[in-house]
Amino acid sequence: MAIEIEHGHVRAKEQLVPIACKVAAVSEETSDVKAFRIQTLDGKKPFEALPGQTAMLSVIPYGECMFCVSSQGEDYVEFTVKKVGYVTERMHFLSVGDSVGLRGPYGNWFPYEDMKGKDILFIGGGIGLAPLRSLLTYVLDHREDYGRVDLVYSGSTKDDLIFLNDIENVWPTYPNTHMHVSVYKGTEGWDGEVCYTAPFLESLGIEPEGRIAVLCGGPSLFRTCLHSLLEKVGFPPGDIITTLEMKMKCGIGKCGRCNIGSKYICLDGPVFSMAELEDMPWGAH
Amino acid sequence: MLLAKDRLPQLLDHLAAQARVYVPARVGEDTRFALYSSGLEPDFEMVNTSLPPKDLLFPQAQSMYRYGFDDNGTPFIDPVHDSDNTVLFGVRPCDVQSIACMDDVFLTMGYEDEFYAPKREKLLIVALVCNNVAESCFCDSMGLDPNSAPYADIQLRQGSEGFEIVAQTEKGQAALSDWKSFLSDGTATRDNVSCTLKVDMTGIKDKLDEMYEHPIWDRISKKCLTCGTCTYVCPTCHCFDISQENRMKLGERFRSWDSCMFSNYTEMAGHHNPRAGKQPRVRQRFLHKLCFFEDRYGKTLCVGCGRCVEKCPVALDITVLIDQIGAADVAEGAEVLEGAAHGN
Repeated sequence: MAIEIEHGHVRAKEQLVPIACKVAAVSEETSDVKAFRIQTLDGKKPFEALPGQTAMLSVIPYGECMFCVSSQGEDYVEFTVKKVGYVTERMHFLSVGDSVGLRGPYGNWFPYEDMKGKDILFIGGGIGLAPLRSLLTYVLDHREDYGRVDLVYSGSTKDDLIFLNDIENVWPTYPNTHMHVSVYKGTEGWDGEVCYTAPFLESLGIEPEGRIAVLCGGPSLFRTCLHSLLEKVGFPPGDIITTLEMKMKCGIGKCGRCNIGSKYICLDGPVFSMAELEDMPWGAH
Repeated sequence: MLLAKDRLPQLLDHLAAQARVYVPARVGEDTRFALYSSGLEPDFEMVNTSLPPKDLLFPQAQSMYRYGFDDNGTPFIDPVHDSDNTVLFGVRPCDVQSIACMDDVFLTMGYEDEFYAPKREKLLIVALVCNNVAESCFCDSMGLDPNSAPYADIQLRQGSEGFEIVAQTEKGQAALSDWKSFLSDGTATRDNVSCTLKVDMTGIKDKLDEMYEHPIWDRISKKCLTCGTCTYVCPTCHCFDISQENRMKLGERFRSWDSCMFSNYTEMAGHHNPRAGKQPRVRQRFLHKLCFFEDRYGKTLCVGCGRCVEKCPVALDITVLIDQIGAADVAEGAEVLEGAAHGN
């Protein structure tokens, strides 16, 4: 049965005006990646996000950015933020109790229902694991509904790998769940694979039958792994799912900039299958 | 019903007592829709104002909310909603159609824009069909008719006897019953006009569907300065930026017109930019007008008002582009892709 991805759904309570929230916890993943748990001022969960959905998080006086909800709990949603620009740099100064603005959840979600009964191959690079994490933890929380889980994850060096504690100590304790981690540059204290993601992926001998590949990473990882999946491993385009990024301002399909062809990534995406992307003029992206 | 010409100032005064009334007028050296007050002379002879009326619904800068901390140190975020009863009087068929396009963007596809919707709700559109056309007008090539503005609440047709008035919506009917004392029975005699600038849109959308990769975009984008003038004078360009202004204890986040012609429009943190060069930006603008918007909303996003044709400093003329697309060989695009596959 083909995987069906939902598009163009409206689930956010807030359109453009955020609600005031506070930082409930901060954890340092790497030297330039921090995870922030956000809750309302009265300590509640701001909203329920489906795996893969996004939200606009703002450091109120400086600006707002769109992030995938990387995980969530009873009374918080969590965002994993890499320090790469003006707003994210200021985000990294936030500490527990600081106020932030939050609006969402926006966009569609990974087809976690249709994926039931399938094996799942997660492929991520660097901060690209953050959006995958929401689906990965959902699958692990409903472990009996899904088949074998493989995570192929790479970073520039060991120090750039996020969620390393989960990868080493938590996720492999689930049944039939396998972690494959490589770095591009070996450093002291790393005795694992030193390999780019695409050849590493090809070396694992993963078969496409009965399996869905879920891919998220920067442009070069995306292109090379996509080529591996389609041409070397032999996945059909409909069984490869990805989550896209574009610059976003509104989050509700109106401000114009995140389009690929006639689709807006914020509203119609961010989750698409490769079969869908093949019908869109995405080549330049 | 007929509005005699000498009753027009009285009607406008009557309307101005209950709403903000905008009429086409000369303001300094420029022309635009100006706020009417008694004594202002509307100019119904000019064809198109140099600036479109879109800012009535979609202001150039619109405050969305104010934020800060109260005396107890608790953060607050207070939305700013402002809307007044507004009458857009004497607007041309092309600009009326542009409002239909903006309605699609701001009121459909799930989210009804909370800043646009109340302004739209309180707007009465009174169209004046064209008795003359400008050299740059080409609305009738874009599926419109200069003699008719079907999306308006009220339509005026100007003849020597005065303005023939027809209500076309419930809102328009309600307004006409209020205007009754200014109206008399009768019709206006006028001759239909048609645009002198013509383009052939036949098959253009279908060709563009196959022309995302095509050498035409390199050719036409060469002279573009990416100044953004086309997007600012365009009645249908609706893209916006969100930014903020901070003072000591109070800040304000607002949205403002943006332009797909600017490189930072799509530039992400880390400097990845899917439309870094002007070729993809020029392509985006024209494909959005002639292709993508139709895929999404079933309309062309160009209403043929001709403002960009007049104002572009390098004469990158959309009507010339349409002609060039009509003459282009779609197969040349395959050669571009082929070349890319071989690393050329």
